Amino acid sequence: MTQIMEDIIENLIDGQTKKVVALVEQAIAEGIAAKDILNKGLLAGMNEVGVLFKEGELFVPEVLVSAKAMNAGMEVIKPLLKEGDIQKSGTVLLATVKGDLHDIGVNLVAMMLEGAGYEVVNIGVDASPEKIVESVKKIQPDLIGMSAMLTTTMASMKDTITALEESGLSDKVKIMVGGSPVSKDYADKIGANYAGDATAAVELANELLGR
Amino acid sequence: MSRRKKQNPFPGGLVGGSYKPLKDGDVEKIHKATMKVFENTGIQVNDERALKAFHDAGAQVDFDQKMVKATEDWIMKTIKTAPESITLYGREDKHNMDLDGFKVYIGTGGTATNVLDIDTGKRRPSTMEDVQKAARLVDALENIHYFVISCFPNELEKENVDVNRFYGALRNTTKHVMGGVYTKEGVRNIAKYAEMIAGSKEALLEKPFVSFITCVMSPLVMDKDYTDLMLTAIETGLPLATPTAPMAGSTSPGTLAGTLVQMNAEALSGVLLTQIVNPGHPVLYSCVPTTSDLRTGAFCFGSIEMGMMNAACAQLSRFYRLPNYTTAGVNEAKIPDIQSGYESMATTMLCALAGSNYIHDAAGLLESGMSISYEQYVVDNDILGMCMRAVKGIEVNDETLATEVINDVGPAGNYLSHEHTVMNMNKEFFYNKVSDRNTRARWEIEGEIDAREKARRMAIEILKTHKPLFIDQHIEQKIIQEIPGMLSEWLD
Repeated sequence: MTQIMEDIIENLIDGQTKKVVALVEQAIAEGIAAKDILNKGLLAGMNEVGVLFKEGELFVPEVLVSAKAMNAGMEVIKPLLKEGDIQKSGTVLLATVKGDLHDIGVNLVAMMLEGAGYEVVNIGVDASPEKIVESVKKIQPDLIGMSAMLTTTMASMKDTITALEESGLSDKVKIMVGGSPVSKDYADKIGANYAGDATAAVELANELLGR
Repeated sequence: MSRRKKQNPFPGGLVGGSYKPLKDGDVEKIHKATMKVFENTGIQVNDERALKAFHDAGAQVDFDQKMVKATEDWIMKTIKTAPESITLYGREDKHNMDLDGFKVYIGTGGTATNVLDIDTGKRRPSTMEDVQKAARLVDALENIHYFVISCFPNELEKENVDVNRFYGALRNTTKHVMGGVYTKEGVRNIAKYAEMIAGSKEALLEKPFVSFITCVMSPLVMDKDYTDLMLTAIETGLPLATPTAPMAGSTSPGTLAGTLVQMNAEALSGVLLTQIVNPGHPVLYSCVPTTSDLRTGAFCFGSIEMGMMNAACAQLSRFYRLPNYTTAGVNEAKIPDIQSGYESMATTMLCALAGSNYIHDAAGLLESGMSISYEQYVVDNDILGMCMRAVKGIEVNDETLATEVINDVGPAGNYLSHEHTVMNMNKEFFYNKVSDRNTRARWEIEGEIDAREKARRMAIEILKTHKPLFIDQHIEQKIIQEIPGMLSEWLD
């Protein structure tokens, strides 16, 4: 069992989606529990990816390809997993705020969070405070991430936080913000947490959600 | 497999030549003008042995005036024996350099007499410790392809400088070591212990990992002492650079073309002497054309014209079918700062794009070559990497044109997680080590340090952790015992 887990980890780090899928199938055939494949193979591999990324050994595209490989492996074992087998890291709702159509940054954050094991719902660009409030009610995320690329649209972050407060949701969910005009000072002022880049966003999510 | 050692995608030896400062026909014009200088003006040779050698080989020599003149036919015939390409070896084969065509290698230069102390940042006279540490730093910096000995050990007696300077360099890097020399005895003893390291004289000359620099003076003089040293260096059989450093506007004409003409005559003089004395001797067409700042008369190593002229030397050397030694990357800044950055980059980039074979002085030097700086080596390692990246150029083929990938990703998608990006991310992009590309927030968290401080910390870390492949203990002991003037204590 250890050897096949090591192979899964190794191929996950290499972003070898097909090999990961084949190895996961082989592990199932050998009678290894889905939960073990998940924890000792796929998640252990992604942990290693996280470490290597932090050390500068792996680059962003490699992490994302590894995440893809992990998701492909997950698809195979999903039907076999029992309730409680998956310990979810948490759900994150992401949005680019009202009036802003830039989404490269927020997409990168989404992929990095997925790579770190979060369930991510990205509601897209030009998301008004009302739309975000509604989505929070529906999805019930643990964390909201808002992005703005322009100084003119940044103000919408504050409007959204006000709307969340008025809806009584602000205590139930953590909030992080980012984007080029945003600073820590601004985040502090509006009562949000600040992440300067995609890596920092993952670190911040881990911190806020106590991982 | 992911934890594989990533290979340097932009190593020394990539082929340049896209930048040609001399237009079609200009190279021939400079050649013809140079031949006129040889025929009408001549060069002064202040060494009896050299004068006699020029005479015996068929040049017109005036022994009273110590002047040598020559015809185009004689010059072109005489330089023909010089090798068209030369391989300079490292103590490890991975550092061998094939100086041929428009292949580009970039390295350090000397000889500074000062160093900016890595702890205090203050300028002080350089020592043997600095020679060794600079060599060790260069050993670890992947974009610096060879080590021209950086500085002068001020604490040593002149007669002991050569052997210790070269040994300190050789011991701390396995990259090729070249250096200027001060005494004939020194030249002979360096060759002697290099033979011991190689195993035999034949083994050394088969794979020379050490070479010498002896200068020609501007305007148009082969100096008595330097030429004496040059002849001694030729006797060793080791590769030789015979650089000349005219300063446009003061020791050469106040035009770039005129400076190239005079420099060409001087550079060819060095080549001629080696070929007369030892036909086939491995010699580099060696150029250090510089300028003067005519507002003050100050010597200029970092001027843009210097970069252009040195780049032109790649074209001139190819005309004569000789490998070249050129100069770039040194600057007039007193500390590693904005000036040291832009001046270093401008001249090195021009020479690299021109396809210069052996661009020296391009790392670690400040203050017109009077001072070295540990930080500057680390900064220049980034600059040299960027230059090599530019030399490699833009690869265009079906795979890089990526139409299928564009179709795959489609409008509003992104390429970050595409396999194609992963496949290409290491070979298409150069990743600077000193440049800060993080967000402002991260820069603030990491202490708001500038490039100089970052480079300083990196240099300290390398010097703390990097151990070069030292020279065999038994051979080292033998060298220390048998070679006069050798120090017995060396940096661990």
